[in-house]
Amino acid sequence: MNKGKIVSIHSFRGGTGKSNTTANLAAQVALAGKRVGVVDTDIQSPGIHVLFGLDERKMGKTMNDFLHDKATIREIGLPIHENVGGAVGLSKLKDTHIWLFPSSISGRDISQILKEGVDFNKLNVGLQTTISEFDLDYLFIDTHPGLNEETLLSIATSDVLIIILRPDNQDLQGTSVTVDIARSLDVPNLFLMINKALPKYDPVQLKKEIELQFNAPVAGVLPLSFDMADNASSDLFSLRYPDHEWSKGLRGVAEAILALDNK
Amino acid sequence: MTDDVDIIPQLKKIAIFSGLSDDVLVTIAQRATKRKLAPGDVLMKKGDPGDSLFLIHEGWVKITTVDSKGEELILNKWGAGAAIGEMSLLDGGMRSASAVALEDTEVLELSREAFEEIVKSPVVSLAIIKDSTRRLRFATTYIERAIDLAQKIAAGDYSFLEQSQALINDNDDSKAAQMLSAFFTMVRKVKEREDGLKQQLEKLTFEIDQTRRKKEFEEITGTEFYANLKEQAKALREKRAQE
Ligand SMILES: Nc1ncnc2c1ncn2[C@@H]1O[C@H](COP(=O)(O)OP(=O)(O)OP(=O)(O)O)[C@@H](O)[C@H]1O
Ligand SMILES: [Mg+2]
Repeated sequence: MNKGKIVSIHSFRGGTGKSNTTANLAAQVALAGKRVGVVDTDIQSPGIHVLFGLDERKMGKTMNDFLHDKATIREIGLPIHENVGGAVGLSKLKDTHIWLFPSSISGRDISQILKEGVDFNKLNVGLQTTISEFDLDYLFIDTHPGLNEETLLSIATSDVLIIILRPDNQDLQGTSVTVDIARSLDVPNLFLMINKALPKYDPVQLKKEIELQFNAPVAGVLPLSFDMADNASSDLFSLRYPDHEWSKGLRGVAEAILALDNK
Repeated sequence: MTDDVDIIPQLKKIAIFSGLSDDVLVTIAQRATKRKLAPGDVLMKKGDPGDSLFLIHEGWVKITTVDSKGEELILNKWGAGAAIGEMSLLDGGMRSASAVALEDTEVLELSREAFEEIVKSPVVSLAIIKDSTRRLRFATTYIERAIDLAQKIAAGDYSFLEQSQALINDNDDSKAAQMLSAFFTMVRKVKEREDGLKQQLEKLTFEIDQTRRKKEFEEITGTEFYANLKEQAKALREKRAQE
């Protein structure tokens, strides 16, 4: 049946760079010739759609409508490659196949979904339908921070889980619980990604240390960068500045995801 | 000031005159006037229109400006042989600093009128144009070099420091050479600081509270929601594995 993989991007704390990482990973994998979908879980606050240069007014139907049988998956998917605009980075996507699926399975909505019995299986069918309808190789999900029920659903259905962390004790503590949960839910592929790494740490040593702490692979150590903060939400950083250290690190993570196919 | 022969080598040192023949320099010397200054006498004032060049023949002058607090700031001191205000002869710009005699001083003054008389000769003006252009080219080369090096520094590449001496040519315009050499000193200091920082790379001291980790894990996995989810996820994964 479906060969497409679900890749969730998660972090214990907010603001670790999940949305930027998700959008850039999806774009890199699309550039590698794969058919890619991105589930935008946050259309209120500046979410992924902004990074893809899309206006929230353009987004009509959401994944929720689909889960409540009010829309078909076809109606929800927005072709990013057909709406790249003039941004230097984004416009590199014009010959790829990448769709955005707006959703608001968060907060109030999730409790509604749970109450109304739209359970794990239903969500899962939704995601699998998305994959089959659009013949996707990868479906990326940008999750909310923390381990709420919505995130647990997303982790449970993932083929690949990428946990982003910043190198400090608070994040390590929170990440340790997420790693345990991912193992408890039998996620087949778990990667850690360090973002906003301060120059005071040696990246090689950092990778070693974190891998030792969690017994899980670190797919990339991405530096804290003012360029990255400056570019905030106007374009896809790794496409616009391909030679930047952050972009190189990100491509490493994309390669780790792509390499799973050859396993 | 007509018969003073040792003035010629001094005139030759003035950049804009360096390409001129001795004959022309003699004419210039003849048109120059001698001025005597007592200590504290002002030779030129910052902001005044610059319409002459001074060649110090004897004694010392200080070049001054005022700092942000209005206090005198000595930029430099010049003695015999030094030329002051040479650019003004060409561009008529304002004095960028003041010059005050430090002791009994004798200078030669060449007015712009006199200078303009001299450059009526095409040979002379061509020599001056050639020389000005040469200096401009040097300055540009130095600026280009500085830009190139600045880009290297931004990329963290300090390898050029090892050959910094070779990058400064002794024949180059002295101010530009001074600028580059100050630049190298600065970069060396920056590199030292950066190397120092690198050595202080912080030791990683991460510590996970394992008791807390276990407690939080149990809080999440202890719910009915989780038990259901785990079961469904397991079934799903088994189903997918079979497909
Ligand atoms: N490596 C980095 N260096 C500097 N700034 C970064 C880096 N990565 C991300 N940022 C900035 O951090 C901010 C948060 O990024 P992003 O929105 O991707 O995080 P998030 O985890 O999705 O946040 P939230 O939890 O609020 O959804 C943005 O302003 C982004 O530009
Ligand atoms: Mg986000």
